[in-house]
Amino acid sequence: MSPTTLIKCTINGVELEVAQGKTIIQAMTENAQRIAHYCWHPGLSIAGVCRLCMVEIEGNPRVQIACNTMVTDGMKINNTSAKVKDAVKWGLDFHLINHPLDCPVCDQAGECGLQDQYMEYGKYDPEMAEPKQRKRKVVDLGPTVVLDSERCILCSRCVRFTNEVSKTNELGIFSRGDHSEIGTHDGKPLDNKYSLNTVDICPVGALTSKDFRFKQRVWYLKDADTICNGCSTGCNVKVYFNKEGVFRVKPRFNEEVNGYWMCDEGRDTYKVVNKEVRLLKGQKFANGQWLPEMHAGTAVKDAYQSLMKAAASEIAVVLTGQHTVEEYEAILSNFQNTFKTKNIFHWVNNPEIFEEFDGLLLRGDKNPNTKGLLQILEKNGIKNPWKNLEDGLKSGKITHLVVFGPENIPVFPDLTAKVNLFTTAKNLIYFTAVNIQQLRDYSGNNTVTKIPLKTYVEKEGTFINFKGLAQKFKRATTLVSEALTGVEAAQLIAGHEIKVVGHPDNSLLTPASTRKDQVTLEHRKKNEFLFTRGRL
Amino acid sequence: MQQTSSETKYLTEFYHLPEFKGLEGYKKNGGYVDLEKALKMQPQQIIDEVKTSGLRGRGGAGFSTGMKWGFLPKNDEPRYLLCNADEGEPGTFKDRMMMEKAPHQLIEGMIISGYAINSKKSYIYVRGEYDESINTLATAIQEAYKAGYLGKNILGSGFDHDMDIYRGAGAYICGEETGMISSLEGLKGQPKLKPPFPAVQGYLRKPTIVNNVETLAVVKYVIRDGAAAYKKYGTEKSTGTKLFSLSGNVTKPGNYEVPLGYPLKDMVYTLGGGFKPGRKLKAVIPGGSSAPVMTAEEAMKATLDYECLAQMGTMLGSGAIIVIDDNQCMVECLANLMHFYHHESCGQCTPCREGTGWLDKIVHSILAGKGRMQDIELLIKVADNMKGKTICALSDAAALPVLSFVTKFREEFEYFVREGKSKVKGVAYVAHNSH
Repeated sequence: MSPTTLIKCTINGVELEVAQGKTIIQAMTENAQRIAHYCWHPGLSIAGVCRLCMVEIEGNPRVQIACNTMVTDGMKINNTSAKVKDAVKWGLDFHLINHPLDCPVCDQAGECGLQDQYMEYGKYDPEMAEPKQRKRKVVDLGPTVVLDSERCILCSRCVRFTNEVSKTNELGIFSRGDHSEIGTHDGKPLDNKYSLNTVDICPVGALTSKDFRFKQRVWYLKDADTICNGCSTGCNVKVYFNKEGVFRVKPRFNEEVNGYWMCDEGRDTYKVVNKEVRLLKGQKFANGQWLPEMHAGTAVKDAYQSLMKAAASEIAVVLTGQHTVEEYEAILSNFQNTFKTKNIFHWVNNPEIFEEFDGLLLRGDKNPNTKGLLQILEKNGIKNPWKNLEDGLKSGKITHLVVFGPENIPVFPDLTAKVNLFTTAKNLIYFTAVNIQQLRDYSGNNTVTKIPLKTYVEKEGTFINFKGLAQKFKRATTLVSEALTGVEAAQLIAGHEIKVVGHPDNSLLTPASTRKDQVTLEHRKKNEFLFTRGRL
Repeated sequence: MQQTSSETKYLTEFYHLPEFKGLEGYKKNGGYVDLEKALKMQPQQIIDEVKTSGLRGRGGAGFSTGMKWGFLPKNDEPRYLLCNADEGEPGTFKDRMMMEKAPHQLIEGMIISGYAINSKKSYIYVRGEYDESINTLATAIQEAYKAGYLGKNILGSGFDHDMDIYRGAGAYICGEETGMISSLEGLKGQPKLKPPFPAVQGYLRKPTIVNNVETLAVVKYVIRDGAAAYKKYGTEKSTGTKLFSLSGNVTKPGNYEVPLGYPLKDMVYTLGGGFKPGRKLKAVIPGGSSAPVMTAEEAMKATLDYECLAQMGTMLGSGAIIVIDDNQCMVECLANLMHFYHHESCGQCTPCREGTGWLDKIVHSILAGKGRMQDIELLIKVADNMKGKTICALSDAAALPVLSFVTKFREEFEYFVREGKSKVKGVAYVAHNSH
């Protein structure tokens, strides 16, 4: 890239150096200056229609929109003068005159651009005495999104999203003037793999997610940063949760990975982490019946005892690409050191579409850390064809099988087949986050122990995405307190006590403080209405 | 040059001849001679000539045509020439007459202009309702192709030019140049953000010049007579003649061509024939519905040129003079205008989308006898905050009449609110259903 020329400008009295070719709104948001806006979105083209990002430029008698004005050398800009504030106040007023006052029943309340701006610039009694425009309510736009046209402020973000990002062109603005409405064409609903991004970028309650609407008030939710475990892209996301569980997943900006977006599939990953579907306790099946539930730790120690009786060649371990680098390291070192086994197998869920890519974010490899697993197996010189496991089980050479089962089970179409294979082992120790039907229904002659694992929102660790980018994430919340992380499970099953291990410093991940986009994100947070909610 | 009463028939010299519509009649009266002359000139010479002539855009903004052409970037091709014939400004009907009486005049002007700016393709964007204009133009373009004035290697000069008609669908906003470009591109007719300006990135993101019908027709005459001769008409800064569409309560409404700087008083009383017996002048909207209204007193002092009207706080606009006599209720007049702008706002920018509707509703509630005294102040506040805040000028066009009507005829508005009925007509109106 050619070096960017920096030019000087003054924004609200602060002297700044910005790269040439930046618009005023970019310069402001990237430098922690507040500016009101609805239609502008850093990931979309400029529409310039909400007329809220007004700034005063020295030497220009008229206020200008910051989103379509380039910064020039020596420009003096301010958006705090009485003139600008009045312009924004009126801009807001125009947005509000036909907007229904239904905040008490609106799902966006608490993270609404109109509410935010009203608190900052408004707080006045309405002057509009005429009847409001009536438009369509509860419009079914497609399988994921519902539209309330009266709430819509026609910022056109969603239309631009479907035109420019998903390139599916489902949405348009129909009619003219204040009868304008967002809509879809006949027979072509809003149905694409990225449709819920339109809900994220909608600054008001016009577009709501069918999945999330009316589930929770957003002020009862906290949020935490993590990495999506839906596929090998590793989108940076935020999960929103409270003590009842996780309620939604939204994208978090990372220029290198996912930009501003994420797919709809990834948003469903929270569904396999909540208590209702989880395995809460350890349980053992022996002598033809499920024994009473036991503490997870007890179950692992019991498993340890059974493994100690076996020879190294009789023990095998199955791993998927669903766990963290740290977990793989702990599992491999403990099994190799304690049980001396190298029978470690990689369960590949959908090899035939592994290389697929839709051109935007979605990848065929539906595991967040296949790359991480392969790297560690290679480091340890382990390369066992899956057939060896099948043969070993068939011939009875492998009798003790430890499986670290997948967490995001919807992407494991072969789950039933594989579990049926695993249960042919005399002694199956199956670690799983989800209380899977296949094991619950088991009845046979072998011993099966199922032990609860933690999910990606409940642990910290590193995922290495498809292009080798290691992304570290922190624990967001705890939903099943008894469940074990893979690291803990590996230590216990090898007969050790749980050691709390900190992350090594020589992490593959660039520290957040030195990453440019992370700095930007911090600043953007202060400006973007949509992504700052959820704090308690 | 023929002079009837005090009209100056310069562009309209042969408009009384029905044959002027066809190629033969047009050629008999000096048609396409100037094209031949222009093709022997250097394009830059033509641009300079137009610049020197002081010709200003006749569509409404009054921007120097030569200067506009000068904004084209060098060497970026193809370039497009668009003729704005989407005459939608209430009160304006001069372009229609020009297209129907003298289509070749426009075509010749366009070919010369196209040659000057090195554009090989031009479109005439005609208002959808103008059936006859479209038919006349279509015939004329065919004639011009047959005669070799359009197509490849025009008159052996090596210059190629193609021309097409595009029929609008009747949206006022498509008369705005970027709205027109959107419409021509097959998109919803909505103005585009500027910058980039059309001269740099217009139709299909290529350099594009958009000129009014009258402007392009005048180019032929600038070439015929030279800039110096053209400048003899009009005033120093408003050169040439202009077609004015006179309408309203005058006894002889119609299109009149006069030199710029012509007294408005003469336009109303001499050319327009004054009023019906017993009526007298109350107000004049001098430049299409978007221009601020003038009181009778102001109108009597005004001359029809860009500077004088600008100085008086209004504008020449497209040259549509709407005369209002003392039998009209100003609240009703404003309500009519507001209904129009509410209906025609494209809905893109919030202040205009919501503001035009709001103004319409307030004025109509006053008209229904349900107004509140604070509504009058509110009208001014809303209009004030719609001004200069949007992508195109439609918002201003709706705001300016409000500001001028309410400040200059405030007493009528107050009477209406106070008494619940019109001061002039003594009645209120049934609540208007403004959609």
